[in-house]
Amino acid sequence: MTFIERLTAIDRRIIYLIIALVTLLPMLFPIAQKVRVMSPVDKCFNAVDTIHADKALIIDFDYTPQDMPELEPMAFAMLRHTFTRRIKILVLCLYVQPLGLAQSALDQISAEFNARAQSNADSIIYGRDYVFLGWQPPPLVPIIGMGESIIRVYPRDYYGNQTDTLPLMKRIKNYGNVELLVSLSSSSIPGSWLQYAQNRFGLKVSAGVTSVSAGDFYPFLQSGQFSGLVVGMKGAAEYEELLTRKLNFHTRRKAGESLSSITFAHLAIILFIIIGNIGFFMKRRKK
Amino acid sequence: MILSHDVWTWIGALLSLAIFSFLYKDNPFYKTAEHIFVGITNGYAVTFYWHNILVPVLFNPLFRGRLILIIPLIIGALYFTRFIPKVSWMVRIPIGITIGYYTGVSIPANIEANIVKQVQGTILSPANFRAWHAGSWGILWSVLLFIGVLCVVSYFYFSREHKGLLKLTSRIGIVFIMIGFGAAFGYTVMGRISLLIGRLNFLFGNWLGIIK
Amino acid sequence: MKKTFPLILLMIFGIFGILPSFLPHPVIQGIDSFVLNDLMRIISAFALVLGLGSLLRVHFEKIQRHAENWPYSWILVIAFFVTSIIGLFGGVSGHGILPTHIGSFPFDIQTIYLRMEVPLGGTMFALLAFFMASASYRAFRARSTEATLLLSAAFVVMIGILPLGDRISHRLPAFAQWIMDLPLVAGQRGIGFGIALGGLATELKIILGIERSWLGGAE
Repeated sequence: MTFIERLTAIDRRIIYLIIALVTLLPMLFPIAQKVRVMSPVDKCFNAVDTIHADKALIIDFDYTPQDMPELEPMAFAMLRHTFTRRIKILVLCLYVQPLGLAQSALDQISAEFNARAQSNADSIIYGRDYVFLGWQPPPLVPIIGMGESIIRVYPRDYYGNQTDTLPLMKRIKNYGNVELLVSLSSSSIPGSWLQYAQNRFGLKVSAGVTSVSAGDFYPFLQSGQFSGLVVGMKGAAEYEELLTRKLNFHTRRKAGESLSSITFAHLAIILFIIIGNIGFFMKRRKK
Repeated sequence: MILSHDVWTWIGALLSLAIFSFLYKDNPFYKTAEHIFVGITNGYAVTFYWHNILVPVLFNPLFRGRLILIIPLIIGALYFTRFIPKVSWMVRIPIGITIGYYTGVSIPANIEANIVKQVQGTILSPANFRAWHAGSWGILWSVLLFIGVLCVVSYFYFSREHKGLLKLTSRIGIVFIMIGFGAAFGYTVMGRISLLIGRLNFLFGNWLGIIK
Repeated sequence: MKKTFPLILLMIFGIFGILPSFLPHPVIQGIDSFVLNDLMRIISAFALVLGLGSLLRVHFEKIQRHAENWPYSWILVIAFFVTSIIGLFGGVSGHGILPTHIGSFPFDIQTIYLRMEVPLGGTMFALLAFFMASASYRAFRARSTEATLLLSAAFVVMIGILPLGDRISHRLPAFAQWIMDLPLVAGQRGIGFGIALGGLATELKIILGIERSWLGGAE
């Protein structure tokens, strides 16, 4: 085999091995990299940060196990943000798969805060500080129905409690009492929130999306329909950076630590593409 | 290295390795894991549909006297006529109702969110110039965006041959599309690597205890 | 009748779907509330049952006919029924009539989901990282000006969005962000207009009964 032929015929298993190694090795020495915060994430952070005390935030957890690595870090960061600032949140899922992940995230972050709490006022208490509404299909039902009445759509919460008995739900009746909705999703659901909830009821919407779907949603950010956009692991790292910088919240920054692996993996892929193209052009010239 | 003592972590790790074995080639371990995945996903869905929808929304209110729910019960049950050849045409009734309603609901929503608001974001207006937060550069970027959108739309206009002015605008449109797709590819690469990072964290962190 | 009646129903519900956006009358809103909160929710639940029935039928047929890979169909069916039984009788939070733990070993529905489905689903998508790297190496060629533009933009974004890009040049992250804010938005918006207008035309054709592919081929 000539050198040119070797360049364009690297065995795929060697490529797989190299990708696995360049991704894994930086993870053995995790260092949270400082990231420059760009305006889409900054807008989202500010939109959450400026929610008034008498209003609530709705977080739509719509990520599946397949998108967990990208969306869970931003979900954790957002929960830490809201619990630190004592912003009241309602959590819901528009599909069945994210339910377990949403419960796990809420349990983990609320336990984290309660481990540090000195008093009842400091603690994160279910029903007072947050409510997990659960899932009511199909997606349009809660998106449109909550404009009139949240309790009508969710007569019981995820845990089976009657929603109207929960302290938070005594004053959060519909979108009129909600200042912002953040949709953490890997599908086109953030667009559905815009189409139905924002158009009919004027609800402000932000989104946390996977890197793959970022391109679909940037036009809505530019037009002002989204009040912010957090994209992928990088977006989560930026949100973590803002938590540290603006709220002095210090915790392990998993998304920030992952950026080293992403950097080396990107460089490896760029190298592979360049090698492939060198081989291609050399072959073409030979012909 | 501290191996996990949790049975479920071992089960998760072995299932993950079974899926990863596909990288070498298709094999029985991968097929087994794949079929387990489909089975569990559907079993999970059944659980929540029963406990969250059928019981509290249909059966409980119906048995407490809300008889109007017989209508959706009958319409939903018509889905099962699909399996009875003589009356299988009746499956079109719930399908027609569902498609009709959702199509109707989405028409005004689509126009408002995907057309009107997007046009508003494209036109050359002081609000759009300011939205860039780039001072007077905002005017240039807005003009570029306006030209870009028009040229991209002209590229997809296939009712006339791309000659003359249309050829020029569609060429400019292609430039915008290619740069945009390149950027989207860049983000896609980050997305895929992130998914791999998640799995490696589990295997080398939770399972093998090598990563803290 | 077999086609006309469903078509008429579709048109009625289609028009009814549009009305609440324009008519805030309490009667219209009330009927819309019933349709959305009761009718559509219950119908969607039955649609799932239909989907599951079809899935199980396909796999039972495979088992019966001993088709290719038929033993795996048993695995799917067993996994489905075990998970369903644990979920239906064990309850969503593990407090149903079926016990969902042996000593300190839990096997409730959420544990099965978090400890089996999450690794399985996550790993399936993690495979894409490898396939993408391999495919990029084999197929990504700068054959033309357009392809070169695409590659260049991809490289700029891949480096620019990361801290490495900031170290190379302070302007690189801003340039990468500008690529997302301008050329990407222009391209996506233009495509988006086409999709929106095409979708709108199709939706109108469906409601008016011109588009009838959803009826299926049979009589």
